[in-house]
Amino acid sequence: MKNWQKSIFVKKKHLTPILLSCKISKVMEMEEILKQALLYDFYGELLTGHQKRVYEDVVLNDYSFSEVAEDLGISRQGVHDMIRRCNRLLADYEEKLHLVEKFVHLRDQVGRIQRIAGEQTGNPAMKEIEKIAAAVLEEL
Amino acid sequence: MAVKIRLRRMGQKKAPFYRVIVADSRSPRDGRFIEEIGTYDPNTDPSTFNINEEAAKKWLANGAQPTEVVGKLFKLAGINK
Repeated sequence: MKNWQKSIFVKKKHLTPILLSCKISKVMEMEEILKQALLYDFYGELLTGHQKRVYEDVVLNDYSFSEVAEDLGISRQGVHDMIRRCNRLLADYEEKLHLVEKFVHLRDQVGRIQRIAGEQTGNPAMKEIEKIAAAVLEEL
Repeated sequence: MAVKIRLRRMGQKKAPFYRVIVADSRSPRDGRFIEEIGTYDPNTDPSTFNINEEAAKKWLANGAQPTEVVGKLFKLAGINK
């Protein structure tokens, strides 16, 4: 946990603003695959079988466009278009339903409840609250 | 025979968790891999990753190709070719 933070912050000191923003955008790109993964977890079932297969290979299993293209016997451009279309479809669902946004918000809030309750050692009610929060997190 | 270093999604739904694996690029999708050299867990804040530096360097030196995302992880971990 610390390593990740350290590697960013230690380097920050020595970086010029331009290099720094490169660094940050790289971290953001990591977040991009997470966003795609979460969107897929929520709305993936709404894609067709073929779309799902391509999207899973590229986004979840980190295969390159050309590898997937070769595997499925379609063009690299075809894979690229498919990913773009899927991204847009999933983003549209999110825009209408906001399930991912709600999920992330709830997870953070309940996580806070759990943490705060956990700090109050010696209070049986708090212990109970912590347990319930853990169960809620499990069910989200 | 090209060898790739890539991420593989593990973990349950809504809680993505990744392994950094070394695999033959010719055997896509069958789930086999040669070696697991690290993990990446975005669920913690900040995200955590750990990479077996020795193994990573060994594979890079032997010509294994990291994917773009894995390349970024390596950079953050301070591993260069």
